[in-house]
Amino acid sequence: MPVSYLKIVEGLKEKIGSKSIIDSKVPRPRRISISIRKEKLIDAITNLVKEEGFVHISTITGLEGENGIEVIYHLNRKGLEASLKVEVSIEQPLLPTITHIIPGAILYEREVHELLGVVFSGHPNMAPLLLPEGWPKGVYPLRKKWTYEKIKKKLLREK
Amino acid sequence: MSPIFNIPFGPQHPALKESENFMFEVDGERVVDVTPRLGYVHRGIEKALEDRTYIQDMHLIERICGICSHAHTTCYSQAVEEGLEVEIPPRARYIRSIVAELERIHNHYLWLGLVAHEIGFETLFMYAWRDREVVMDLLELISGNRVNYAMNMIGGVRRDITPEISSRIRKGLKVLDERMKYYERICSSERTVLVRTRGVGVLKTSDAISLCAVGPTLRASNVKRDVRADDPYAAYDEIPFHIVTHDGCDVASRIVTRCEEVFESVRIIRYALEHLPTGPLEVLVPRTVPPAEIVSRVEAPRGENIHYLRSNGTDKPARYKVRAPTLANIPALCKMLIGGYIADIPITIAGIDPCFSCMDRLAFIDANTDRSWVWDGEQLRRYGFKWYKKR
Repeated sequence: MPVSYLKIVEGLKEKIGSKSIIDSKVPRPRRISISIRKEKLIDAITNLVKEEGFVHISTITGLEGENGIEVIYHLNRKGLEASLKVEVSIEQPLLPTITHIIPGAILYEREVHELLGVVFSGHPNMAPLLLPEGWPKGVYPLRKKWTYEKIKKKLLREK
Repeated sequence: MSPIFNIPFGPQHPALKESENFMFEVDGERVVDVTPRLGYVHRGIEKALEDRTYIQDMHLIERICGICSHAHTTCYSQAVEEGLEVEIPPRARYIRSIVAELERIHNHYLWLGLVAHEIGFETLFMYAWRDREVVMDLLELISGNRVNYAMNMIGGVRRDITPEISSRIRKGLKVLDERMKYYERICSSERTVLVRTRGVGVLKTSDAISLCAVGPTLRASNVKRDVRADDPYAAYDEIPFHIVTHDGCDVASRIVTRCEEVFESVRIIRYALEHLPTGPLEVLVPRTVPPAEIVSRVEAPRGENIHYLRSNGTDKPARYKVRAPTLANIPALCKMLIGGYIADIPITIAGIDPCFSCMDRLAFIDANTDRSWVWDGEQLRRYGFKWYKKR
């Protein structure tokens, strides 16, 4: 791992403790991917934004992996893309909001909430953003169990 | 006083102007608060991508956006190519850049026309759209299509730029460059344009950064950020160009920024045509992508475009995430609207070049009386003209 990338990981280790960092890698130049424990999310984001200068958030990706829901924060500093990954369980998908650190994340959190059912506690407004009005509660279309057929059946039943 | 409710009139037509809903809270002429409601054209493409093969997905990605289709497919091809660990031939990289810049010129001409339309400058609107035909003809010449060019494939590009096409592009560029110089002069000196755009839709530099705005909207607030320079892709690491920034932070500044971006694009295309490497257009690639996580970024005409791919060794992606630039600019747009006049709403919204420029349903709530009413975009546009005439 190049020195400048290593420094970011070292800084993060100091802040949140090396045990909280599950994995870190550099798949190619200008990309760094760090996987951390979800309890340390706020500390890690604060460190990256305030001390390392990752002021821009490109988006938040949510996806259903093998062990639960992965939430990936794509932070950016002058072309260097840092993907900070946390994992929550499907039964209890709860994360703190980061909108007080990066106000630009406001819509991305809502999107992840709506499509995958992750709840961001402390978010100012979790109202529906993308899906139509009257969309059935508890149907999170990007979760793997909601196949087209199931969504279709559910929507027809609701009508 | 009991609230008056008006029923929204007119269908939401995603033809030219797409549907969008903003709830405005107003106090007299001032906007106090705004709540966007997106998703009227949410088509569930991300879910659909998981159900199709990488080759089929290319066609779906092409159709995310009518104007910046090439930016999306470039982003997608890059992601898949990185997953497959293939390098595309240099000629393909250059052709991708050339088409991307033609697309940017197309987008900026289209946008200039829309802005002129919103402020009631119909002559400029007609002129800009007439000249837009020149760049559309060039794109048709290269790709066979005026929009949705379908130039990209996984592993390269589908069509070549022959010396004959190249000379015709040069001729077209001369026209586009000269016309845009004229429009830039008009837009920075004509009084009617300045009155409607100076100091309108202000986005301070600090707000632009904290709200994570992207593209020309960000650069017009004096932030030098451009994916082409910061995180080069296609052939941008070999082509010299300069990032246009302005410090006006208002709609006028956004117009000048985009006009100058067209000059830069013209320069980039000329350079690329001159230095076009020889060689094949594509490499053959396998159908399955080994497990990987890839973040791919592109500077679309409207700003940073980011895609995320999670592959799992099959011929279908496990997850594909798309974030188009307009979504990134919505928080910044809300900031611009708050504190502005009702009459400036259309030009402010058009100013960020939204991919859903229609405000088919606008609902107003008067903060003092609780009265609420609904306007469509056209009514609001006319209201703006009348209001400015009276001043």
